[in-house]
Amino acid sequence: MIGYFACALGAHFRAGRSLFLLTIFGVALGVAAVLSIQIINRNALAAFEGSMHALSGDADLSVLGRTPSLPDSLYVRVLATPGVQAAWPLYRANVALAGKRRFYLEVIGVDLFAPLRVPWQGEGAELAGALGRPGWAAFSPALAQEQGWAAGDSVQVHRGAEAAWLRVGALVDFQKLSPLASPRMVVMDIAQAQHLLRGTGQLHQIDVVVAKGADVAAMQARLEQELGPTVRVPTPEQRVQQTAGLLSAFRLNLTALSLISLFVGLFLVYSSTQASLVRRRAEFGMLRSLGATRAQVFGLIVGEVALLGGLGVLVGLPLGYWGARANVGVVSTALSNLYLLEEIHALELPWWLFGMAALVGVGGAVAGALMPALDMCRRDTRSLLSAFTLHEKIGSLAPALGAGGLLLMAVTGVWYWTLGRDWQPAGFVLALSLLLGLPLTAPLVVKALTGWMRVRNFGLAYSLRSLGTRLQTTAFAVAALAVAVSMVVGTTLMIGSFRRTLEVWIQTTVQADVYVSPASWRGQGEGGGLDEGVVAGLATQPGVRRVDRLRGLTGYSPANQPLALAGVDMGLPSGAGRFALLQGEAGAAFAQVHRQGAVLIGETLARRQHLWQGDMLAICVPAGVRSFPIAGVYYDYNAQGGAVVMDLQTLEAHWGPGPVSSAALYLDPGLDAERVADGLRDHFGSAPLEIRSNQRLRREAMDIFDQTFAVTKLLQGISWLIAVCGIALMLLVLAREQIPELALYRALGATSRQVFLLFVGKGLGMGIFGLVLGSMGGVLLAMILIFVINRVYFGWTIQLHWPWAALATQGITILGAAVLASLYPARKASRTLASELRREDG
Amino acid sequence: MKPVLAFVQVRKTYPLSGGKGSRHALCEATFAVAAGQKIAIVGRSGSGKSTLLHLAAGIDVPTTGQVWVSGRDLGRLSEGERTLFRRHEVGLIFQFFHLLSHLSVADNVALPAMIAGENGAATQRRVEELLVRVGLADRRRDPVQKLSGGEMQRVAICRALLRRPRLLLADEPTGNLDDDNGRRVMDLLLALADDEGAALLFVTHSREFARLADQVWEIQSGQLRVPEPGA
Repeated sequence: MIGYFACALGAHFRAGRSLFLLTIFGVALGVAAVLSIQIINRNALAAFEGSMHALSGDADLSVLGRTPSLPDSLYVRVLATPGVQAAWPLYRANVALAGKRRFYLEVIGVDLFAPLRVPWQGEGAELAGALGRPGWAAFSPALAQEQGWAAGDSVQVHRGAEAAWLRVGALVDFQKLSPLASPRMVVMDIAQAQHLLRGTGQLHQIDVVVAKGADVAAMQARLEQELGPTVRVPTPEQRVQQTAGLLSAFRLNLTALSLISLFVGLFLVYSSTQASLVRRRAEFGMLRSLGATRAQVFGLIVGEVALLGGLGVLVGLPLGYWGARANVGVVSTALSNLYLLEEIHALELPWWLFGMAALVGVGGAVAGALMPALDMCRRDTRSLLSAFTLHEKIGSLAPALGAGGLLLMAVTGVWYWTLGRDWQPAGFVLALSLLLGLPLTAPLVVKALTGWMRVRNFGLAYSLRSLGTRLQTTAFAVAALAVAVSMVVGTTLMIGSFRRTLEVWIQTTVQADVYVSPASWRGQGEGGGLDEGVVAGLATQPGVRRVDRLRGLTGYSPANQPLALAGVDMGLPSGAGRFALLQGEAGAAFAQVHRQGAVLIGETLARRQHLWQGDMLAICVPAGVRSFPIAGVYYDYNAQGGAVVMDLQTLEAHWGPGPVSSAALYLDPGLDAERVADGLRDHFGSAPLEIRSNQRLRREAMDIFDQTFAVTKLLQGISWLIAVCGIALMLLVLAREQIPELALYRALGATSRQVFLLFVGKGLGMGIFGLVLGSMGGVLLAMILIFVINRVYFGWTIQLHWPWAALATQGITILGAAVLASLYPARKASRTLASELRREDG
Repeated sequence: MKPVLAFVQVRKTYPLSGGKGSRHALCEATFAVAAGQKIAIVGRSGSGKSTLLHLAAGIDVPTTGQVWVSGRDLGRLSEGERTLFRRHEVGLIFQFFHLLSHLSVADNVALPAMIAGENGAATQRRVEELLVRVGLADRRRDPVQKLSGGEMQRVAICRALLRRPRLLLADEPTGNLDDDNGRRVMDLLLALADDEGAALLFVTHSREFARLADQVWEIQSGQLRVPEPGA
């Protein structure tokens, strides 16, 4: 049978090259989508993991603060704790590289005599210089090469208002310890780092090696008890898990979207296999009549599909890698902007990821072909040799399939409303039922719509009407396109709504005219503060009516939930408009925050922790744990974990005095904010300040939003490309199956141009049906994304908005692509001669 | 009177695969068919009957010789021109009917007019007239799958006659029917051809049906034997 397999495969390939190639392409795209997303997902966390392992890989535990920093004195207490074999302190600070916008380095002050493995490059790194020369720092070889630095060069960095000069003293290659470690880590002597960056007496981390034989979990509990509620003591694995938790929703959504692309690809495999088997029924009948068993025929079919799947995988794997490389930049930027995590500098490519993708590709192809293969093998020899009635079968099954699809969606909907709402993954169950149920309705929709058409001429209506007779072929192409369109329309609607919601939110909350912050501040948490003189100077600038100050910190709940704390002047006149409240009455809420030490919390935090107005929020402060009454909940699109706003005085009362992170300037009416911003830049000269007008800040915020969804757009493109391939594939099948019909048209006087246009009409018809069905599915999917998944996983309220222009563009693109996909099959069909009738008549 | 159809020394050969010579499907056929004349062609399978019909319809072109239909040499026309010519001058009837399942009975009859872009009120009246003549007017909206074999062939005959062609070509019109239905269909076909004044050339295995024609020509291994006038 293997010999027959090889001969037959060659013959079928020669007879239907286009079908084979399209099938392989469909599998390849599906595999590429899954692989590229999994590479990105894996590396989203791996960058953080790599840096952490490079720095703290030898430690069993890390003492971290639930406050912005730890006091020096904590180190001695850690060392004195029984069971601690060794410990070393770390001072960590993000700085901005002078002269480059948004280029951040992480300065890590280490005790150079601690038993810490630092991968110095070259022999005999001059550690004496590290202690003696001011600003001595070790940079990664990659960074030094990128920036063109050599030993002895001076590098200026900024932290808040402070400028510091670092000197390139040595090279340290953390990537030798962990290939994914960030090349932007800079190592200095801890005392030097503290002094230069105004952090004397402060630590950020103490790594601990537990004594041999001691239980790590017990040590963890002991240290937490000894050191008090202002610290947390996670293991390296727990730190990774916490970050993974932050990223879980982001990664899960990307994975779900990539699986839709794969699903559409598998549809293609199913359709092409079915079409192929229908054409070859006589061949299988002949084989069975010659003594081949059902198992042998099954093996023949599955073997062929597995081979096609394997070829698709071979094409898809490099495509997936290329896709990941091409998109890692935008994802990395999103991670950095939204989660303040390390950017991805290198891609880790474990072999098992490729193995998984290969398995998915081949396995998926075989799974897609299983039903048609089993169906073919079950048939008896006589029915295989006689005229096939599958078309009629699908036609008669159409109502049942349609009812089944609608029932599936309805039952899932009812389940969600009655039982499923409290279950976090319920949204994905809803989406899955939609993507399974929708294609089941395709045969009924095509049959019903084509049945209603009245044909008068040999035009578009005739083309559409003719689609109804080949449901076995056309309905699957329509179904695949409908799934792809659902994904495209659904995500377009969701992104469009989100964008508009964000625009409105920004318009509401970004009310000041000019914003001034240190170059090292990344929008939340710490990052250094503005110089007091600068803040005072801003208030005296001509045209500045009022200065609104914001001080940012990173705090933690007792459960180690990171919180972006912001202290603002709540007593500012007309300052209430800065926060659009989801819950709470503005006047009362802001008064409570201003005068009674209450807080406002962001919606993300509220939904995740089920905290609402009137509840208490526990936050770790230097003096212990304090509970703050929640005066209201405001709309917030913070991705990191949760935002809390309090009055500046409340912040200072609990965290002590500190510099302002950002100043928002309100100008006199009629002044041009851009010109004022330019004037301020001139006035403050070389001070490390980021000065932006309201307009520019809004633009940058929307740019970050657009970057975040760049990968989604890529996946949209892959899905509809696969679906369009499906249309081309099905039309090629029709061009072969319908030779007698096409020959009849030619015999009755239809020109080749008319047959060409007939097929283009069929392609357009499939596009129209897929678009109609998919649009309905897309609207439902958008509702699920907006009102269920995003709310549960990210805690965002998104107002539904119809981006008509974007949707119309998508629709036109899809129809245009359907027409384009039909051109080649139409050309083939138009070459059918009337004499083909004679071959069919025998 | 000019013949409706004339073959002049027509030869049709097909190359064999592998470049090993060629097969002579039709050898030096010469004949003429006058308006209203009914000719039956009999012969075994593979004798060249269908080839002759396809050449007459302009579906195929002769290797040598000339095929004249309504005064036009089909060999001088391009494939597109022959297609357009066929719309107006030739009606085709096939053994396996070749009706389309996505069209109703009436729409199947009107198909040539749809192709020609002339499916207006006049065509609809013509469709109705033909369906009445064949006794299927009450089935005009039915899908063709619901018809019997004989009924399907009657619909196919109506389709062939829709545009009043001067030449009707029928390839085994009763080949897929039982004897009774076959007889009825032949009677109908001959009567309609008479009424429309069209020349009819039909291929058949059945000597009984062949005898209903004005002349019976035999074809064997591509050689057509046309009886002498008066024979």
